[in-house]
Amino acid sequence: MLYIVYLIIYGFILTAVLGLIASWIDRKITARIQYRKGPPLLQPLIDIIKLLGKETLIPKGASKTMFILAPVIGFGSVVVVSTLLWANNNNLFSSFLGDIIVVLYLLAIPSLSIMIGGFASGNPLARVGSSREMKLLLGYELPFVLAILVPIIKSGFSLKLVEIISFQAQNGVVAGYASGILALIVCIFCMQAKLGLVPFDIPEAETEIISGPMVEYSGAGLAIFRLMKNMLLFTLPFFLIVLFLGGLKFNGISILYSVLKYIVLLLIITVIRNTNPRLRIDQAMKFFWGPATVVAVVAVILAVLGK
Amino acid sequence: MKLTLKALLKSPWVFHLSTGSCNNCDIEILDCLTPRFDIERFGMLLAPSIKHADVLLVTGSCNRKSAIRLKRLYEQAPKPCLVVAIGECSLSRGMFIHSYNCPLPLDKIIPVDAYIPGCPPKPEAIIAGAVKLIQKIKGNV
Amino acid sequence: MTREEILNDLKKRFKNDIIDLLDKSPKRVYIEIKPESLVKVATYIFKDLEARFNIASGVDARTHIEILYHFSIEYLNVLISLRVKLDRKNPAIDSLAQVFKGANWIEREMYELLGIDFRGHPDLRRLLLADEWPEGVYPLRSDYKEWDKKAIRDRGV
Repeated sequence: MLYIVYLIIYGFILTAVLGLIASWIDRKITARIQYRKGPPLLQPLIDIIKLLGKETLIPKGASKTMFILAPVIGFGSVVVVSTLLWANNNNLFSSFLGDIIVVLYLLAIPSLSIMIGGFASGNPLARVGSSREMKLLLGYELPFVLAILVPIIKSGFSLKLVEIISFQAQNGVVAGYASGILALIVCIFCMQAKLGLVPFDIPEAETEIISGPMVEYSGAGLAIFRLMKNMLLFTLPFFLIVLFLGGLKFNGISILYSVLKYIVLLLIITVIRNTNPRLRIDQAMKFFWGPATVVAVVAVILAVLGK
Repeated sequence: MKLTLKALLKSPWVFHLSTGSCNNCDIEILDCLTPRFDIERFGMLLAPSIKHADVLLVTGSCNRKSAIRLKRLYEQAPKPCLVVAIGECSLSRGMFIHSYNCPLPLDKIIPVDAYIPGCPPKPEAIIAGAVKLIQKIKGNV
Repeated sequence: MTREEILNDLKKRFKNDIIDLLDKSPKRVYIEIKPESLVKVATYIFKDLEARFNIASGVDARTHIEILYHFSIEYLNVLISLRVKLDRKNPAIDSLAQVFKGANWIEREMYELLGIDFRGHPDLRRLLLADEWPEGVYPLRSDYKEWDKKAIRDRGV
């Protein structure tokens, strides 16, 4: 029973609210950097309510089942990931062995759902966007997994999220070590690509292929996709905080530190987003399989050596 | 008023369509998105695809070839969708009223909700027209 | 070669074909030639003088239809225009599309808007007008009448 409460309240509602606020912070800071006022506070929520009121048009050449199911699959996986992270953060139950691998697999599903939605549309522009998303997924998964090995190694080769959090409570955060800070930097770049933000928003390049895989979505499908992206904007930094920065604690003065950790990560994402142009797909692949993988391997070697 | 209609007026996504204009009105529309006359504070974003559009901004007097495409695009926009005609050429074809290639004015082809005169209208006029459109929809319902 | 040399050379070489040479200003020269010798003169100006073909323009003057071909010589800063006068009932002239490819589309446009027939054009079909436009109606002629019954030509005020 408690699990269902956790699923709905923590996994869905709290993450959705925090994700919408994070999306608003991102848009407002972008507007301020560009020397203009931004949207009001409730704007992301109003976008989603408006989209629920528009009619849904399904193109004739699309495969109907996958077209309608694709956003729901992605959204469901984000809800499950967020539930797992909140449950481990609040020490609800002793987590099962290997739950960090489950989270890694589940985090690949939102990108897969965008890809499937694009291919099911039957539009050549959506097909190009989906193939780019496929290549980008192959690119950033490698340094991401290598960099996640660092907190696993540091906390004594354990694969449970609860043990990683408790190790950091005793010995200081993983980002305090040399290997940890290198792994955190690699993870921030991979997170930028997973969220679909400039300089890696190649599959959804607005000026090139008219919003890529989502070109045929309208109405409720688009609303679920947007909600999924906004919730991912909260879930991925939360994942990084749990692994590298000791998790969010809510007793006493630590509540201020938790908020600060999340806001700093969000600010880094926004500033990188506003100061860089967009890369081509082959440049992005070369970046992920070149410098990023090398730095991640160096971080793993340093972690094994004990630094 | 229905909640979704209220939300539509607070976050209209704009799709910009030129049916054979001299591009002067198009430049003025793009001016509205720049930091000086920022319209993102009203929630307006530039929609990349027609399936994401709420407001269709039409410039230019439609000639015979682009009238076919305009009708096709209007059918592909998910309703409820508002149409705004910008510039003299789309109001009543302006100085091209006797031209051999522009037989019909815009509001005989698709239903138009707001008209913004000017050649080209200033960005302040476009924003005032958008505000009048929102007030009209609110007053009607 | 300087400007005077070029003009004298043209006058000497084509003295049977040139009807009139108007030296309007240092930058513009209008040469009126007979319709039969268009290809000869245009080939000479394009290939030997190495001029650039800018555009061709067609006009319906009341008594005849005339076409102007504009060539520009950049290192001398001069624009030479070849004027050809055609009969209004049956305008026809040789096509220049085989000589240089730049004349292909402008001759298609002149065919559909003015009704000039270009003999020897490889692909003479409609370029700009809509598909439902009737054949044989040329909009840029001065005796064009409105054929569309559904057109609205008043502002309604």
